[in-house]
Amino acid sequence: MNDRANTWEFGTRQVVYGAIGAALYGVFSWATNIFPLPAAGNVTFRPAVAVLIFFGAAYGPWVGLLAGFIGNTLGDMLSGWGFYWNWSLGNGLMGMVAGLVMAAINDFRARADIMKAVGWGTLGIVVGMLFASLTEMFTGGIDLNTAIVGYFVPAFLGNFVVTAILLPVLMIAFAAVAARRGR
Amino acid sequence: MLATWKYRPRNTFIQRLDPRTRFIFLFSVILALTVPDIWDYRIILTLFLISLTLYLLARIEWKDIRRTWLYIFILLFFIVGLNGLLSGRGGPSSVIDLPSPVVFYVGWIPVTVSKIWFALNQITRMLTMAMPALMLPYTLDPNIYGTAFRRMGVSDKVSFTMDLAFRFLPTFSRDFTTTMDAQRARGYEMDKLKGGLVARIQKLAPLIIPVVMQSTVTGEEVIDAMDLRAFGTKPRTWLKELHYAPRDYFMIGLGVAIFITCCVLKWGFGIGGFFVPDWFSRLFA
Repeated sequence: MNDRANTWEFGTRQVVYGAIGAALYGVFSWATNIFPLPAAGNVTFRPAVAVLIFFGAAYGPWVGLLAGFIGNTLGDMLSGWGFYWNWSLGNGLMGMVAGLVMAAINDFRARADIMKAVGWGTLGIVVGMLFASLTEMFTGGIDLNTAIVGYFVPAFLGNFVVTAILLPVLMIAFAAVAARRGR
Repeated sequence: MLATWKYRPRNTFIQRLDPRTRFIFLFSVILALTVPDIWDYRIILTLFLISLTLYLLARIEWKDIRRTWLYIFILLFFIVGLNGLLSGRGGPSSVIDLPSPVVFYVGWIPVTVSKIWFALNQITRMLTMAMPALMLPYTLDPNIYGTAFRRMGVSDKVSFTMDLAFRFLPTFSRDFTTTMDAQRARGYEMDKLKGGLVARIQKLAPLIIPVVMQSTVTGEEVIDAMDLRAFGTKPRTWLKELHYAPRDYFMIGLGVAIFITCCVLKWGFGIGGFFVPDWFSRLFA
């Protein structure tokens, strides 16, 4: 299931899994709004982020980028928020950076590989959310302090917690499915 | 619970526009305000009125969009507006550099005429950029996003990814509903997720994992089918055709003209920076 021949390859596999990742990210972003997760201030928990990071780690940076960009756009559209290019691109960067770890993962069940994926996923969250928050300074006219404290920190915390908890579960389940399928 | 699009066909000027026109116009407005860093209320108000006119022309029913507007207003007034009002930061430094009379204090923080005017400007500026974006999900057919992006120069593969994602969405939404029903039948109480933060997030796994794993298996079958049809070996054709009409040229021209005018005014004539108009200052005299 995980062809690691070339991290930057962009073929049929990347097109299909990019689309699947985007559709799942969109559906979960929209659907999990109904679940009562505890929140502090404007910290929101979006379990779908773990799915995005997983698709990046399993299928590479292009899949992460497309799944994040298109998936966020779909989720926003389903909720009726509109199209915010900087947040969509930020989500794309989050998946793309997480996808850089693909070539380094050999066994989705191995603790070391899971830690690597969580580590790169965290880096992806930092890069993606920082990009989206900082561009709000230009599009929203907010200052650096608001961008960091009001936007970046809550987005980072919410996404990190969800990734650290759900990504290992997704990876272990994926290893089982891949073993059963034989490719 | 199925994912449903907010889109509904309406016979309006906005929906008759080519989707490319709408994206180009949206980006023209965003770039016009952000690239030359426009804070002059006369320019912002003019663009706001254009955005508002287009929004009204879309004829989106209030009951459909009220929840979104509530969210936008909370964001604008409580996060952006209050930040501008209290700190005065986030825009041009002249907001806090200007010697401006203090209107009142919030705790020890002085709220000046300049800060009040800045907060109003900031809210209007954001609304100007948000309105054309806000209309999209309600007025743009989800089936033409892929075609629109392809015709805007995005590669076949990326455009097809987008097209495919739109097609997968109802399938995964249905799978999610089926999984939820199956878990409920096993006693999963999704309305009563108990425990701490970690426990609650962990309890979402039985809903998420089956859908994601099933989708990875589906993916392999789709890849096989596409490979058998030699996907990606030649440029593909698209079922839907897009054609610009005179109204599209008008809107694209308007968007480009707005962008160029803002740049010329700011960099050519020095117009477009932040200032507090006299009539507004006199209101607090």
